[in-house]
Amino acid sequence: MSLSETRRPSKEKIRPDWISKTAIGLVLGFALALALVGLFAWFGPGGIEARDKYQFNMWLVAPIWLSVVSLVYLFHSAARALLWLGGANLLAWALLLLLR
Amino acid sequence: MQIRSDILRIYQKVHLWTGITTGILLFICFFAGALTMFKTEIAAWASPPSHVLPQVPVERLDELLAKAQAQHPEISQGFTIYPNDSRYSPLTWSQVSRDHDVHLNAAQWQASLTPEGELITQQVVPNQLAELIDQLHRTAGIAGHVGHEQLGVLVMGVASMLYFIALVSGVIFLLPTLVKTLFALRRKKGPSRFWLDTHNLLGITALPFHIVIALTVIVFAFHDQFYDALNQTIYKTPPSFMPRTAMQAPAEHPPLPVISEVLTAANSFQADYQARSITFAGLDGPRAMARIEMYSDSAMMRGPLADFLALNPYNHQVMFSTMTAGEQGIWGRIVAVFFGLHFGSFAGMAGRWLYFGLGLSGAMLFYSGNLLWLEQRRKLQKQATTPVQQPKRVRIMAALTVGCCLGSVVAIAASMVLGKWLAPVLDNVNYSYLWIYYLGFAAALIYSFSAGAARAAIRLLQAGALLCLAIPLSSLAALCLPSLGLWAPQTPATLMVDVVALLSAAGFAYAAKVTYQRAVNGDADSIWALTPPTTPTRVNRQLSQSS
Repeated sequence: MSLSETRRPSKEKIRPDWISKTAIGLVLGFALALALVGLFAWFGPGGIEARDKYQFNMWLVAPIWLSVVSLVYLFHSAARALLWLGGANLLAWALLLLLR
Repeated sequence: MQIRSDILRIYQKVHLWTGITTGILLFICFFAGALTMFKTEIAAWASPPSHVLPQVPVERLDELLAKAQAQHPEISQGFTIYPNDSRYSPLTWSQVSRDHDVHLNAAQWQASLTPEGELITQQVVPNQLAELIDQLHRTAGIAGHVGHEQLGVLVMGVASMLYFIALVSGVIFLLPTLVKTLFALRRKKGPSRFWLDTHNLLGITALPFHIVIALTVIVFAFHDQFYDALNQTIYKTPPSFMPRTAMQAPAEHPPLPVISEVLTAANSFQADYQARSITFAGLDGPRAMARIEMYSDSAMMRGPLADFLALNPYNHQVMFSTMTAGEQGIWGRIVAVFFGLHFGSFAGMAGRWLYFGLGLSGAMLFYSGNLLWLEQRRKLQKQATTPVQQPKRVRIMAALTVGCCLGSVVAIAASMVLGKWLAPVLDNVNYSYLWIYYLGFAAALIYSFSAGAARAAIRLLQAGALLCLAIPLSSLAALCLPSLGLWAPQTPATLMVDVVALLSAAGFAYAAKVTYQRAVNGDADSIWALTPPTTPTRVNRQLSQSS
């Protein structure tokens, strides 16, 4: 929890950026949840064919999505949230589309 | 644990906003949800004993079915068997479509046999009190539809997203002081501290339960959207939901399936499981199916009351099951665990009582959260030297909290009592439940705004005590004066409803007393103080007498 001391000696305060962070969390969080569920569905245990895994995959969307939305306010600013979550999305979607 | 203060401040704000916008809705859903733990008991309690025909021995079910079908050929379209369960008639059928709506006017046929083998049938409009409480639990009482989904369910889906965020943010901003203060219930440091400690203790000890409830409600509300989104993005061909391999019925089959054989096949499907009910559907077409509710008090069940098994009614091939053991059924079982953890459908009666307690504790969590919000806003006023008028938003929020939360509790109690007295008078008591609930709720809310939160809290708690007391008293009246046409509990399960009502009456009376004492003796600048000018309080009266 002492990230500020090691990396950012200036101790700049987190910008709230309520609306933009919330929107980024909702949209990119959902997209990221879809991609991660996709990776799990195709390459996780049981593979794509396992019986009833279809339902389990759907259940994974909510916890991933809501975790991102809940934690998005930890980003230093909306711009940084956009950068990190956008990057994570690109990576996850690229992996899914290439490997599938 | 150290967390930077700017993070704490941000998450405190997140917690306040997500909490205050959802607390009241969640209170209603949690309170009603605690009651749905005993849905079958409440349904049996609310139904006149004449609405259940006597059971028949299992080996006579086929005889019953044949005799009933001879008189009512429409039975072959579909019917339900409750084997050996005295809470239900052995054979029932109706034309009602199966969906999430509550059908207040739907008639049901019931059939049974006398010991001599003579057919008895009757048509009743089943009591829907328990179903309506369940609907209140799912929708918070918000009426209307969006597409095929109930509006209230979608609203609660959004509320649960906020609720999940409130849980995460609450934990984050509690972490630094968690270890020191978790089990400290500081009564001495003033009511605000006491409520804060209660709120934290309730939230943290039941955190896993709350996380499960929040996530499952989001899925219950938005599973269609999630499935659609996944189908359009990650799958190449969307998988089918239910393999319909065994869908073809044999070309030639007897007009009716043999109940005793289906029952045997179901009961031997899995150890520990017993068939609770069998619903036969589509018997005249290629999609003939026996849908069986399977009960176990040791397993984690997929439904609120049971697991599900679908058999071909003629050759007993398994078409679908939520309790397939081993590697094949693993994903289905994990999903069943999510459902079971929401429904409390595990560990039999012990699990139900546990969830009843957790449901009430959740309601208390939200109520105490709102009280804290009010107390924190009140502090801002303390500097004033003259008697303070609380800010408008505090008065509105206090009236809303008291009116909606206590209002819904009182309105449910009123529906239960009045419904029982109206049942002998009305042909169909189901509509009056809705009227009584919504009128009671509206009256409580209006009263709360006009009389102020302090007075309304006392009066509504007193009303709750009286109404709950009236529940066992009505049973007593039924026993003493049979001419009233009322009925008293006839089984331990329905007697329990009366006992819990009696205990609740005591609880409400105690809460009313404590609230009154605080209103009179507590700080005068509190939103919970009864203001002297409008009513002379007991203390004032004593003062004026002595002077």
